[in-house]
Amino acid sequence: MTEWYEGHIVLLLAIFTSLLMAYSVQFPIRVGVFTFSSIGAYAIGGYTTAVLTTTYNWSQYPAVAVGMLLAGLASFALGLLLQQLDGLYLGMATIAFDLIIVVIVTNWQLTGGATGMYGVLGEVPMTTLIGITVVVTVILAFTERGRMGRRITVVNVDPELAASMGVNVRNYRYAAFVVSGLLGALAGGLNTLIRTTIAPVDVGFPLVVTALTMIIVGGARSWLGAAIGAVIFTWLPSVLQFISTWQAVIYGIIVALAAIWLPGGIVGTVTTAHRRRESKRRAKVVLPAEPDGVEHIAAVDNIADLTAEGERV
Amino acid sequence: MTQVMINAITLGSIYTLFALGMSLTWGSIGILNFAHGSIFMFSAYTAHLVLESVSLPLIPTLFVGIAAGAVMSLLVQVLAFQPILRRNKDPQRAELQILIAGIGIAGVPLALAQKGTNNNPFGLGGTSFDIETYVFAGFRISNIQIIIILVGLVLGLGMTMWLRRSGTGLALRGIGVDAEVASLMGVNRKVLSLGTMTFAGALAGLAGTMLTLYLGALAPESGDTFMLKAFAAIILGGVGSMMGAMIGSYIIAITETIMLTYTSGTWVEAVSFAVIFLVLLVRPQGILGRKVVRRT
Repeated sequence: MTEWYEGHIVLLLAIFTSLLMAYSVQFPIRVGVFTFSSIGAYAIGGYTTAVLTTTYNWSQYPAVAVGMLLAGLASFALGLLLQQLDGLYLGMATIAFDLIIVVIVTNWQLTGGATGMYGVLGEVPMTTLIGITVVVTVILAFTERGRMGRRITVVNVDPELAASMGVNVRNYRYAAFVVSGLLGALAGGLNTLIRTTIAPVDVGFPLVVTALTMIIVGGARSWLGAAIGAVIFTWLPSVLQFISTWQAVIYGIIVALAAIWLPGGIVGTVTTAHRRRESKRRAKVVLPAEPDGVEHIAAVDNIADLTAEGERV
Repeated sequence: MTQVMINAITLGSIYTLFALGMSLTWGSIGILNFAHGSIFMFSAYTAHLVLESVSLPLIPTLFVGIAAGAVMSLLVQVLAFQPILRRNKDPQRAELQILIAGIGIAGVPLALAQKGTNNNPFGLGGTSFDIETYVFAGFRISNIQIIIILVGLVLGLGMTMWLRRSGTGLALRGIGVDAEVASLMGVNRKVLSLGTMTFAGALAGLAGTMLTLYLGALAPESGDTFMLKAFAAIILGGVGSMMGAMIGSYIIAITETIMLTYTSGTWVEAVSFAVIFLVLLVRPQGILGRKVVRRT
């Protein structure tokens, strides 16, 4: 076990930073804001950490914190700037933002140009990383429950309804940008410390694709989906190594099949199936033996079930 | 300067062919096909494979590319996008799933081509078509450049007219405005979707093959780069407008070529991204777009 752990430590560490990155893309989608700006934030966080620790000899955690601050500010500014856009158009504009950052770091002396930054010596112990991830996960899980959860769902599903109920939709959308920026920069900073390098090729379009893939295959509606997606798509490349030449082909096919057959991701599909079975079972238990009057109540119960299901779409 | 403009217009015509197909499917049947760049590249790669065993003149070579693009695009529609549309009644959700499926599918031809070429650029050396360069009054233009420019202009203007004047064009524009009302008016969405996707794929195949002939070699990864540029062209011109896609393509190609000639470094890559960003910020419907962009 220890041997296995030692051998896979980098991979295990990478799962946690991937998970933070997946959260950073997932949170705004849950609020109904289709932004990929957290990939740009990931680049800002990673490069800030690299530049501050190597060129200016900062210690690692303040460097990550400054990266998060910068990325949070940049994301907020982006949110203000793009508040008129929605849907695919917002997605495209934020992808353009990410790619502009890639061009900037490729052409900037300070960030090492096309070769990137090397020798970012940091030490992130597994326990610290697990601690950070657990704290973030608990906070995100909290936003999925109770009043907060319902508000976020209604802002996503029906912004007009949310506004009429007194929820300040605009503030939630800004918050989505800022939270995704902070999480993205955190993931970028930590991942740079773990891998000791960062280069333009690590933060380009493929990273957008990977992040999106994790969420879609896992499930976009809950943190658990992002967690499942992050584990699968961080492990998959090493699992598929024995068929190395076909790895990319299989990866592509898995993503396409998931998009076709698992519209809610793994978590969404399991929850829906479970709920359907549950309501069927309950209907069967109550319906047959009861006298006429109770049957009516059972039908009402069933409707209540259906609406409960509908609410969470 | 004239020389720079000729090269820019050649590039613009390639972008046009690429962007026309994407803009058509996005603006009418609502499909933003992220595998378009991959289809573009793999059509050229198919032509490359065919030419390895048999030498063909220009027109048959182009037809191999066109056919490969059309078949791939049709398969993507039948095997992936149609099932998604069937399963997701909510159009916004379907849009997202189609985007993801496209991204996934795009990886497959790319991986196959990279494996087949060991990550090297491939060319169409097997063709019996010879590139000749003519010199007029101090500037140079090759026969393939003339063909590319002509095909780009003819198809761009032709599709603009076709979409405005023909019955099918009207039906497609109808779907773009309101798919449900269009089907009530007797528009067969399924057949039109298949036709549109096939046609878009054929255009991508044509563009890919001609570009490879012009440049001499194409790297498997270049599909994605071209797709992002075509995006910029479409957004600049206005989604769904053929004339817009064409104008956008030429503006981007000219800007890029000027940047490349007069600046150093790799800033040229930023042109298309900056265009996407600024246009969406200032005029989200693009130069010629009429459709109101969905806002909050």
